[in-house]
Amino acid sequence: MFPQTFDYTAPTTLDEAVKLLGGGAKALAGGMSLIPMMKLRLASPEHLVDLGRIKELNYIREESGALHIGATATHYAVESSPLVRTKCPLLAETAAAIGDVQVRNMGTLGGAVAHADPSADYPAALQALEAKIVLRGAGGDRTVSAAEFFVDAFTTVLNEGEMVREVIVPVDTSGVSYQKVPQPASGFAMVGIAARVKKAGGKVTEARIGVTGLTNSSFRATAAEKALEGTNGSAADIQKAAALVAQGSDANSDIHASADYRKHLAVVYTGRALIAAMGRAQ
Amino acid sequence: MATTITKTETLVGKRIRRREDPRLITGTATYVEDIQMPGMHYAAIVRSPHAAANIRSIDVKAAAAAPGVVAVFTGKDTEKVGPVPCGASLPDLRVPHHHIMAIDRVYYVGHAVAVVVATDRYLARDAADLLEIDYDVLPAVADPEKALAPGAPAVHPQWPDNTAFNYHQEGGDIAKAFADADVVVKQRITSQRLVPNAMETRGVVAEWRGADRQLNLYTSTQVPHLVRTLVAGMLGLEENRMRVIAPEVGGGFGSKLNIYAEEALMGFVAMKIGKPVKWIESRRENFLTTIHGRGHVDYYEVAAKKDGTILGIKLKIIQDLGAYHQLLTPAIPTLSVLMMPGLYKTKNVSADIVGVFTNCVPTDAYRGAGRPEATHGIERMVDILADELGMDPAEIRLKNFVANEEFPYPTATGLTYDSGNYAAPLDKAMALADYSKILQEQVEARKQGKLVGIGISTYGEICAIGPSPATPAGGWESATVKIEPSGTVTVMTGTCQTGQGEETTFAQIAADELGVDIDNILVLRGDTSIVQYGIGTFGSRATAIGGTALYFALQELKAKVKLFGAMLLESDDVTFSGGQVTCNKSGKTKGLAEIAGATYRAMKLPPNTEPGLVATHFWEPPNFTFPFGAHIVITDIDKETGDIAIRRYIAVDDCGNIINPLIVDGQVHGGVAQGLGQALWEQAVYDDNGQLITGEFMDYAMPRAHMMPWIESSHTITPTNVNPLGVKGVGEAGTIGCSPAVVNSVVDALSHLGVRHIDMPLTPEKIWKLANAGGTN
Amino acid sequence: MKISGSYTLPLPIERAYAVMQDPAVLGRAIPGCEGLEKTGPDEYRMKMKMALASLSGAFEGKVRITDQAPPSSFRLVVEGTGRVGFVKGDGLLKLATVDGGTEVSYEGDAQVGGTMAAVGQRLIDGTAKMMIKKFFDRLAQEANAQDATE
Ligand SMILES: Cc1cc2nc3c(=O)[nH]c(=O)nc-3n(C[C@H](O)[C@H](O)[C@H](O)COP(=O)(O)OP(=O)(O)OC[C@H]3O[C@@H](n4cnc5c(N)ncnc54)[C@H](O)[C@@H]3O)c2cc1C
Repeated sequence: MFPQTFDYTAPTTLDEAVKLLGGGAKALAGGMSLIPMMKLRLASPEHLVDLGRIKELNYIREESGALHIGATATHYAVESSPLVRTKCPLLAETAAAIGDVQVRNMGTLGGAVAHADPSADYPAALQALEAKIVLRGAGGDRTVSAAEFFVDAFTTVLNEGEMVREVIVPVDTSGVSYQKVPQPASGFAMVGIAARVKKAGGKVTEARIGVTGLTNSSFRATAAEKALEGTNGSAADIQKAAALVAQGSDANSDIHASADYRKHLAVVYTGRALIAAMGRAQ
Repeated sequence: MATTITKTETLVGKRIRRREDPRLITGTATYVEDIQMPGMHYAAIVRSPHAAANIRSIDVKAAAAAPGVVAVFTGKDTEKVGPVPCGASLPDLRVPHHHIMAIDRVYYVGHAVAVVVATDRYLARDAADLLEIDYDVLPAVADPEKALAPGAPAVHPQWPDNTAFNYHQEGGDIAKAFADADVVVKQRITSQRLVPNAMETRGVVAEWRGADRQLNLYTSTQVPHLVRTLVAGMLGLEENRMRVIAPEVGGGFGSKLNIYAEEALMGFVAMKIGKPVKWIESRRENFLTTIHGRGHVDYYEVAAKKDGTILGIKLKIIQDLGAYHQLLTPAIPTLSVLMMPGLYKTKNVSADIVGVFTNCVPTDAYRGAGRPEATHGIERMVDILADELGMDPAEIRLKNFVANEEFPYPTATGLTYDSGNYAAPLDKAMALADYSKILQEQVEARKQGKLVGIGISTYGEICAIGPSPATPAGGWESATVKIEPSGTVTVMTGTCQTGQGEETTFAQIAADELGVDIDNILVLRGDTSIVQYGIGTFGSRATAIGGTALYFALQELKAKVKLFGAMLLESDDVTFSGGQVTCNKSGKTKGLAEIAGATYRAMKLPPNTEPGLVATHFWEPPNFTFPFGAHIVITDIDKETGDIAIRRYIAVDDCGNIINPLIVDGQVHGGVAQGLGQALWEQAVYDDNGQLITGEFMDYAMPRAHMMPWIESSHTITPTNVNPLGVKGVGEAGTIGCSPAVVNSVVDALSHLGVRHIDMPLTPEKIWKLANAGGTN
Repeated sequence: MKISGSYTLPLPIERAYAVMQDPAVLGRAIPGCEGLEKTGPDEYRMKMKMALASLSGAFEGKVRITDQAPPSSFRLVVEGTGRVGFVKGDGLLKLATVDGGTEVSYEGDAQVGGTMAAVGQRLIDGTAKMMIKKFFDRLAQEANAQDATE
C-alpha cells in the first residue's frame, strides 16, 4: 500500500491551483477516494495539488436566496452548519449519511461531486435540489446544473484542468428526506433517495426526487415526480409515484445487490422518503 | 523488622481491568512494525495476479537495477529452502510440495513469485512493479464442489480429481439407527469462506548476526516456539541459533497459528544480504495470502423417533482446502466430525470428509476452527427436525441432552465430555427471553403480517486443546515463575496471547497463590530466548492448560518459599499465606522479599535445597474440556426489504470457573461479533477464475460497532475436573454459539412461509426473496 | 461476469458489419485505445490507457476477431494486461436490421483480475456498461464521420 512517488504542491490561492491543474496536476481534496486508489496504485498521478489551504474555497454562505458552498467544505461542515441545517436541511441530512465520522471529517463536497461515484450520496440531493455547480478553469467560471454535471460513472462535464469551485443550492422550505440503503461493507449507497415535497391547499404542488446508487449516474425521477404532483399525497398516491422511480433504468448489480433488488429498494425507499418528506411539508 | 503488608484480598473471580489495555489503547505498544534497526532493509513481495498459470519467464533485470534495490530473489533462488510444513497427518493425505515461492507454476492469486529487497519500502515497492513475468494462464477452479466434478481443471496436475484426502469415521450402528427411524431429515448446509482479518496484519523482521551465527526473527504469531523449531528446519539452521520473538500481536483468531512462507523467506533474505529486513503485510496481501477460515459444504441426515429422540447423524463434509496445506489445514474438518453430535446423546454417527484442492488461498483454523461448522450444522438440523415433528426447538433439545448424571460422557466420536449441566444455560436463557411470552407475541405478530423470529442454539465445544496424543506438536503447556531477589515476580508462559488478556488473568492467579500485589507481577511471553518452550495460544487452551502449568509451578515455588521461610524463622511449623511465612508458634513472620533475597544470597541453605527461587512446570492435560452454553436471538424482519434487526441477543455461556468476568465478557462479545459477521455479512467470494472479489474492506463486510446488537451476556458455572483451576476456555464460545442462533431465528421468522433453511450470510436480498416467495434457498 | 445488451447503430447492416472489422475504426472506438497494430490475420496488438476518475492505468493487449459470419455475427476477443491487473472480454456480436439502422446485440463474458478485481467489485459492472456504451457511441460517430468524408 505504497503510492508511487509524486510531487505535491499546496497553493493558497485559487488562481495558483487552476494554473497547476491546467499543467496536468491532479486535485487533492479530502483524499478519501484518491489516496486509497493511489495506495493501491490504481491511480498514480505525478503531481498533486492540495486544495486544502485555499481559504477562498472553504466557505458556506447565503447569498440572494441561495446557499453557496465552497468545494473544500467537508461533509462534517455541511452536516453541522446551522445555515445548511436550517436553510437546506436535505443537504445537511445527506451529508450526515455519508460513510463514517472519519470520512466526513476529511471528505469534501467538491471532491465527492467531482469524483462522481455512482453510489455517492450527495448527487441524489443535488439532483432533487436542482443544484448548480460552478466550475473554474483557465478561462474562468462556468455554471452547470446538477442534471447536466453528472454524465456517467465517474464521469462529469469537467474538462481537463477544470475544477469544481462551488455548489449552489436553493434556500429550501419544502418537506425533505434522504433515505439510503448502505452497502454493508463500504457504507456507500446501494440506493439513496432524496425527496422534496411542497404542499398547498392539501395538494402536492411540487415534488422532486433524486436517485443515486441505482444506475451509473444519479438522476431525477421525473415520472415519479409528475405522478405525485397534483395529488393529495396520500399513501396510495405515494405508492403509485414510487413505483415509477426505477422504471426503464439500467440498474447496476454486484455481489451485494442484484439489479432487480436495487430497483425494488429504490421503489421502497422512494416511498419511505416521500412519506417522511410529506410529513415535514407544511 | 520492616513492615510487611499482608495481602488478604483474592483476585481470581474479580472483574479487574486488563493491565495490557493502556498501551494498546494509546497506541504505544510495540508491534513488529515498530521494530527499528540500524541498516534495516525492506522487502516487497511480487505476487501472482492469476489463480493458475505456468511461469514462462521472469525478468528481474530492470527491478534489480532500480534505485535502492540490493537484491531480487525468485522462486528458483529459494528452491532449497524447505517446504512450508503441514503438521496434520491423515491416512493417505496428499501433500503438495509447498515451496516458499512459486517456481514454475502459480496456484492461487497472491502466490508469491519473487521478493524485491531495497533500502526503503517505497523503493522496494516501485521496483516490484518492474519485474517482467510472463504467465501462461491456465484454467482455474475456485469452488470445491466444482473442483470435484469430472473434467474440472486440476489444481495440482498430478492429482486430477482434486482430492487431497477422504476421511471416514463412525461410531455405534448407523445403519440400525436409520432403519429404526420414524423420520429422517436431510439438508445441505454451507459455512462460507471467511477472512480472519486480525487488526494487525502479519509482519516479519529478520536479523542475521553472521559472526554470532544467530538469526533473530520478529513475527506476528500465536506460536513463536513452533515457528522457531519449524522455520529453523526450513532454513537448515540449528534450532538453538534462532530466536523468535512475537512482540505485541494485534489479533490472530487462528490466522497466526501457522508457519508462513514469509517467515522463512525473510530469514533467507536476511542471511543472504547480511542486513536486517522487514516485511509488513499490506491489508490487500492479508486478504489474499493469510489463511482463510471455514469453506464447508455439509450434507446432513438425521434419523429420529417421532418423539424427537435423535437416533443417528450422517454427515458428509466437502472441505475447501485451497491450493496447499498450511499447518493444520486438513485437520480442521476432523474437529467438526469430533463435535458432530453436539450436546446430544446419540451414539450413532457416520462422517465422511472429502478434502478438496481449489485455486484459492489455503483455509485453516479461524476462531472456532471446525466447531462452528459442526455446531451450525447440528443446531440447524435439530431445528429442522423439530419443525418436521412439530416440536418446540427447546423441548427437542432438552429431550436429547446428555443428562447430568451421565458425565463423564463417552461420545459417539470417541471423546469424553468432562462435565456438564446442559439444561442450565438453556433454562436461564429462556427465562431471560421470557420464552413463552415471546412465542405468544410471535403468534400475534404473524396475524398482523409481521415477521418475528426466535432462534435457539445450544452449543458444545472442544477446548483446552489438547492432550498431546491429539495435538500434532504436543498439547501440553509450560510456565516458569521466578521470584527475583527483590521479591518481584516474573511469570514466563509458553502461551502467546494476541489480545486475550492473559497478562491480567495469569497475574491474578499468581497474585493469589503468592499473596503479592498484582503490580509486582510481570507476565512475559512470546520470546523463545526468554520462555523455556511453549505450544502457544489457540483452541481456547491458554488458561486451561497454560494457567494450570502456572498453577503447578506456583505450588512448587510456594513449597520452596516455605522451606526458606522456615529456615529463616528457625521453625519447622510455618504457614505461607498473604505473601509471608509465619511461624505458627511465635507468630513471627518473614516477607517474600526477605526470603527471596536469602535464597539468592544463599548464605545458608535448607538441606537438599538449591539456591534461587525459580520453578518451571510442563503440564500435560489428561483430557480436553467441553464448555457449553445457550444463545437465544430474537429477530424482526422487514418484509419489504429483507432487512434483519436483532431485537435481543441473549448469551448464556458455561466456561467453568471464571477468573476474570470482565475478560470473559469481552471474549463473548468479540466472539459473538465474529459469529454475527459470518451469519449476516462476511464472505470471501472467489469468482470462477479464482479472483478474490471481496479482497478489500470496500466489499468484505466486517461487523462494526454500529452494526452490533446489545449482547445480554451471563453464565452458568460448571467447573471441569480436568484441571485444578476448574476452567474450560471461552475464547471461541461466542463465535460457535452465535451463527446457528441467528440463522435459526431468521428461518423461524419465515418458517410459516415454507422456509426451512437459509445459507449464510443472510443478506437482505436473500431474505427479501424468501419472504416474498417462500421455499428454501 | 456475464455481459449482454444491445445498441442500435444508425447504419445499414453491411456497413455496420464492415466498420466493426476495420482496425482503424476499432482502434478509435475502443475506449482508451491508443492504436492497433496488426500481428496476424484478424489479430492486433493494442496499447490502451484507461482513465476513469482517479483510476488510471496503461494496458497492453490483444484484439482478435473470429467466427466471422458477415453480415450477421462475429466474435470479438479483447485482452489487456497492466500493472493494476488484467481484463479479458469475449463476446459474440449479432447484427440485425431494425428501424433506423442495425441492432447489434452482444453476449459474452468479461474477466477482470488483479488489484482491479479485488477492490473494484462494486464498480466493475457499471464501468463495463459505460465502456461498452462509449465503444458504440464512438463507433457510430466514426462511421458518420467516414460517411461524411466519403
Ligand atoms: C471508508 C469510506 C466510506 C465512504 N462512504 C461514502 C458514502 O457512504 N457515501 C459517499 O457519498 N461517499 C463515501 N465515501 C467517499 C467520500 O465521501 C469521499 O470523501 C468523496 O467521494 C471524495 O471526496 P474527497 O474530498 O475525499 O476527494 P479526493 O479523494 O481528494 O478526490 C477525489 C477525486 O476528485 C478530484 N477532486 C477533488 N476535489 C476536486 C475539485 N474541487 N475539483 C475537481 N476535482 C476534484 C480528485 O482529483 C480526485 O480525482 C467514502 C469513503 C471512504 C474512504
